Amino acid sequence: MALSGMRGLSVFISDVRNCQNKEQERVRVDKELGNIRTRFKNDKGLTHYEKKKYVWKMLYIYMLGYDVDFGHMEAVSLISAPKYPEKQVGYIVTSCLLNENHDFLRLAINTVRNDIIGRNETFQCLALTMVGNIGGRDFSESLAPDVQKLLMSSSCRPLVRKKAALCLLRLYRKNPDVVNIDGWSDRMVQLLDERDLGVLTSVMSLLVALVSNNHDTYWSCLPKCVKILERLSRNHDVPQEYTYYGIPSPWLQVKTMRALQYFPAIEDPNIRRSLFEVLQRILMGTDVVKNVNKNNASHAVLFEALALVMHLDAEKEMMSQCVALLGKFISVREPNIRYLGLENMTRMLMVADVHDIIKRHQAQIITSLKDPDISIRRRALDLLYGLCDVTNAKDIVEELLQYLSSADFAMREELALKAAILAEKFAPDLSWYVDVILQLIDKAGDFVSDDIWFRVVQFVTNNEDLQPYAAAKAKEYVDKPALHETMVKVSAYLLGEYSHLLARRPGCSPKEIFSIIHEKLPTVSAATVPILLSTYAKILMHTQPPDPELQDRIWAIFNKYESCIDAEIQQRAVEYFALSRKGAVLMDILAEMPKFPERQSALLKKAEDTEIDTAEQSAIKLRTQQQTSNALVVTDQRPANGSLPVGQLSLVKMPSISSTAGANAIDQGLAHADGTLSIVDPQPATSSADLLGDLLGPPAIEDPPGAAVSAQQNVVPGLDLEGASNAADALALALVGVQSNSVQPIGNIAEKFQALCLKDSGVLYEDPYIQIGIKADWRTQHGRLVLFLGNKVTSPLDSVQALILPPTHLKMELSLVPETIPPRAQVQCPLEVVNLRPSRDVAVLDFSYKFGTTVVNVKLRLPAVFSKFFQPISLAAEEFFPQWRSLSGPPLKLQEVVRGVKPLSLPEMANLFNSFHLIVAPGLDPNPNNLAASTTFYSESTRAMLCLIRVETDPSDRTQLRMTVASGDPTLTFELKEFIKEQLISIPTPTPVPAPAHQHQNQQHHRHSLQGQLQV
Amino acid sequence: MPVSASAIYFLNLRGDVLINRLYRDDVGGNMVDAFRMHIMQTKELGTCPVRQIGGCSFFYMRISNVYVVIVVSGNANVACAFKFVVEAVNLFKSYFGGAFDEDAIRNNFVLIYELLDEIMDFGYPQNLSPEILKLYITQEGVRSPFSSKSADRPVPNATLQVTGAVGWRREGLVYKKNEVFLDIVESVNLLMSSKGVVLRCDVTGKVLMKCFLSGMPDLKLGLNDKIGLEKESELKSRPSKSGKTIELDDVTFHQCVNLTRFNSEKTVSFVPPDGEFELMKYRITEGVNLPFRVLPTIKELGRTRVEVNVKVKSVFGAKMFALGVVIKIPVPKQTAKTSFQVTAGRAKYNAAIDCLVWKIRKFPGQTEPTMSAEIELISTIAEKKSWTRPPIQMEFQVPMFTASGLRVRFLKVWEKSGYNTVEWVRYITKAGSYEIRC
Repeated sequence: MALSGMRGLSVFISDVRNCQNKEQERVRVDKELGNIRTRFKNDKGLTHYEKKKYVWKMLYIYMLGYDVDFGHMEAVSLISAPKYPEKQVGYIVTSCLLNENHDFLRLAINTVRNDIIGRNETFQCLALTMVGNIGGRDFSESLAPDVQKLLMSSSCRPLVRKKAALCLLRLYRKNPDVVNIDGWSDRMVQLLDERDLGVLTSVMSLLVALVSNNHDTYWSCLPKCVKILERLSRNHDVPQEYTYYGIPSPWLQVKTMRALQYFPAIEDPNIRRSLFEVLQRILMGTDVVKNVNKNNASHAVLFEALALVMHLDAEKEMMSQCVALLGKFISVREPNIRYLGLENMTRMLMVADVHDIIKRHQAQIITSLKDPDISIRRRALDLLYGLCDVTNAKDIVEELLQYLSSADFAMREELALKAAILAEKFAPDLSWYVDVILQLIDKAGDFVSDDIWFRVVQFVTNNEDLQPYAAAKAKEYVDKPALHETMVKVSAYLLGEYSHLLARRPGCSPKEIFSIIHEKLPTVSAATVPILLSTYAKILMHTQPPDPELQDRIWAIFNKYESCIDAEIQQRAVEYFALSRKGAVLMDILAEMPKFPERQSALLKKAEDTEIDTAEQSAIKLRTQQQTSNALVVTDQRPANGSLPVGQLSLVKMPSISSTAGANAIDQGLAHADGTLSIVDPQPATSSADLLGDLLGPPAIEDPPGAAVSAQQNVVPGLDLEGASNAADALALALVGVQSNSVQPIGNIAEKFQALCLKDSGVLYEDPYIQIGIKADWRTQHGRLVLFLGNKVTSPLDSVQALILPPTHLKMELSLVPETIPPRAQVQCPLEVVNLRPSRDVAVLDFSYKFGTTVVNVKLRLPAVFSKFFQPISLAAEEFFPQWRSLSGPPLKLQEVVRGVKPLSLPEMANLFNSFHLIVAPGLDPNPNNLAASTTFYSESTRAMLCLIRVETDPSDRTQLRMTVASGDPTLTFELKEFIKEQLISIPTPTPVPAPAHQHQNQQHHRHSLQGQLQV
Repeated sequence: MPVSASAIYFLNLRGDVLINRLYRDDVGGNMVDAFRMHIMQTKELGTCPVRQIGGCSFFYMRISNVYVVIVVSGNANVACAFKFVVEAVNLFKSYFGGAFDEDAIRNNFVLIYELLDEIMDFGYPQNLSPEILKLYITQEGVRSPFSSKSADRPVPNATLQVTGAVGWRREGLVYKKNEVFLDIVESVNLLMSSKGVVLRCDVTGKVLMKCFLSGMPDLKLGLNDKIGLEKESELKSRPSKSGKTIELDDVTFHQCVNLTRFNSEKTVSFVPPDGEFELMKYRITEGVNLPFRVLPTIKELGRTRVEVNVKVKSVFGAKMFALGVVIKIPVPKQTAKTSFQVTAGRAKYNAAIDCLVWKIRKFPGQTEPTMSAEIELISTIAEKKSWTRPPIQMEFQVPMFTASGLRVRFLKVWEKSGYNTVEWVRYITKAGSYEIRC
């Protein structure tokens, strides 16, 4: 090397190396820096040799980690030196010490350019390397054309062109806006014809960058890429030096396949066929061998090929071949290869139709669950979780349960959660579900979160058939000597609620049940005691005829806890004691818990939260969200024999996707595009559908029932039955059908309708599966509405029906609505409206569709309202007053004093009128507290009809006003008056419905108290 | 409460354990890893000598290239622990002949283990006096009990040494010539503003003695300190002699000094150990005589030039002189060229410490040499930060001068045999951290 001549440098380096510690080294370096400073400052100037020597020293010091903040000038000036050793150090030091923002670089640009366009190849290489390493904006601007020229020039050696391609790549990546790539598609095609594999590899890198930004322009490169792949895979014309362990240039293969993944799909059948041939060959030709390096290379190629296969949506046959190959990987002993196999299988799960094929390897995957390497175990768990469906759920969940007791602690919580979710999602029958969860709590109580056992309670409460079974199971577990606390909680709750169902069985008398539960009391924490107290109260209530001995024992316990320091326990003890003395009232209050409203499993949400950590897992989640059947209990549909296939089992999904579905789809696309999975976890929109939502009721027993009800409304607005029906009552025309559906609309339908009354386009209705938008165009008495039915999910919606129930005054024609809305598609349905007569009635759209097994039916008001047929007209005073006078007296001119008006200021009221196209003419009325407005109404019967309105307000009392309406048609005058009245009178806020029955109130009330306990 | 050290570790600068001794098993053997992870490999090293990590406290100090770490798990006496470390290091030094560093430790593993066993038991400090330990722990081989050759030195009576009234002195010493050497060594710490205002100033001094006295002599030392003089005048019921009295703060004595007598009669009387020892330590904050005044002017001319003018004035007696005076004047990091003019000594630029170093070997009293230097800076690409101007540092030694003004008034020796003794007294003042802002 060029260093051989520089004694000073080697002495310095050996000095530094001989330093005993950091301190000595620093002293030596500081001394040298002082020396270099003195030399550079020397008035006589330095020879090139000296400069070179000191600049090398500077570089060495810089590499040791010290700040070097001087001498850049000297380094840059060396670039223009004539000799190679000096030029070399100039370039190297410049590219190390300076970054793209340094002003010194400007000084060098000209020299660098001279080197690039010069004839000396080594200089060209040095310059290209430096430019590629720094890649600043200045360089891009001034040097990119030259570099492009160099890349295209046929007279250069491959070495230079290789460097030119990489340099250009860097410049392009750094400043894509500066580098001009117009017309590069042709040149790229030309470059891809290159025979030299080195140049080709560099060019391919460039192509990947170009294509990733804009694939449309580079379609012409696609056949070339396939040709290159063909050439490589046939090992045709591949020089020895580009063959790595017998594999022809794996790097180029990988890059080419990466580039291909940026093109959306390949239409041309010939190209497609030949590409698949190549892929086939890669898939066939790859095997696991002894040599690690060979394995690495061939696997890199293979996995890129797999990604490409997935991207291209290959035929099932090929997919199954891929899976078979991965299956081979899984069975290998080498952990790295097994990891890769599992990971890629998880990826393949995204391609829905390989699901069945992967299932064949289930046994092997389960074996991997016991691997000593935790990362392999995790991948196996992910894969199993993703793999699970109704057919294999039982096996997999049982396997997970078995594994749970031997799994290490780091994984247990995740494992427990996943087992719980799978059990819930794919349970063939509910008793099995209860079995699994109880077993889970028994085996891994510490890792079972509260959500899991809350969920069991919900299931059991909502399924009457399940209750005796669950109670019996719970008793079985309580009989065991050592019990986890969570188990105590869940079994105490179940036994409290349902033990009376077992009363006839041996050993299940209230007394016995009480004593076995009571045995656990001393062992539990303060959080569980309230649940036990509730259980005692319930047992006491269920004991018919009353057993004085049992009563005494239980009262003694309540007495004991009356002075407990924990407020929750104390309150319960006092209240239960007082209540239980009232006898009959106790029966009402402690009656069985009412059913829970159905909602999304909080477990799934939790799983989503925990799954953010790896990209692979979010791929699984993507699938999870697309699962059709999902956890919710619908009691009335439960089949009597319980042996029906699960699809019809009463587990209905309340999906969480809603607005995130779109994002997911995009993510999915991205994931395909770059062959990796980088999905960010989207937060589910329906966060209010939370299990805890209804467990958060106030625990207070002494609350008045009304307060309790309204409190619940506050907690889950719009989801609660009462809440929904209240809101509905208040609206003149309610959507009767909505509440009975298990699918909940997103957002308030009434609000959406109100908004649409004022504007012409917007969303009419939205639920997790469908969105109905509307766009309207109104001309005189004619209107044209377009309904946009958008399917939000990735499976089709069928049995779509839309029926218009028009009021008598409207003539409406709805064009044909298709039976099925394809996945993620939008259908437009035009609707013609003609207004016949003035009327305030509203048209209703009866809309229904079927998603999976769920039939959704909604009745929606259409915003073809009275005010839509107004055309704004503004009248001057000289026009207004003659008209006003000509219309005199009822029925053409009506006057009414309206009370109970929403208090509005005059400008606000004017705005309100204007929004209904009733144009207020300011200053028309001499009294500033009055408003005068005018509009034109259109209908078949009236044609264009002028309407005049005058409102007199009382500044001292804004809640009342006098209104005079005049028009040429008596009906119109009346309807218009009523319409304005409706708008002006404040719509009263929904008041709670009168309590239907005393009993129900009590139940509601009591339920709050128990929910409070549950929450504890 | 004493130290109750659970373990003591000696680490090198990289954090490797050179040697360690566990005294209690209430800390794990891997606690030193915690020290390495949380203290040595972070910036906190050197910021605070006491650290608590995971229920254990680490007391550490650096001595040359060795970290001495004491680990305790309870509430320990920190001062006692550090004192123990200092004393232990002194003990090792006296065994190794001066140096205490990594190499010394590596060369004396066996000896150190032996000493560590002796100087601390179950975490409680024991006898750390080198004189006594050297009697029992030697680097010589073990003599065979069957050896016919009689011992040339009497077998020391360990019990007496450890439990006797005068544990620090052997009986039966005989010297031909009875001599006492007494040194007062002071170091001056100073921080002065550029305008000559004293911001902080104190003197820490020690009285060192070397005794070659026969028998069991009783010594009495008189200094011109305030307490002693007042007591004396009170006792003798006559007005104290005119002259300066010195107020000493924080006086600590060697264990040989009879404290009851000091408390009642305010005299320093003691039976000295044989050989060299530190009789007392003290500190003075008032009335310090500064040996040197420094008047610097440093001007930055433009971006690339700095002009430095420093005048140093010696303010002690003209007959005295200072030795080894070194003045370090900090300059910016990007200094490239320097040129000097000095009226005494020699000056040069030291890039390793970024200072101009001006050395004057012999510096007479009542003189004021000057130095002027011109400095050229190199231009850098880094943002021009204003130079922080660290303080000028100074090193010196002034023999026969005490910055406190302390003088020995008398040193009396009594012995049963009543021999004559020769007393030698020396004074010396050194620079501690003598800094002048510029």
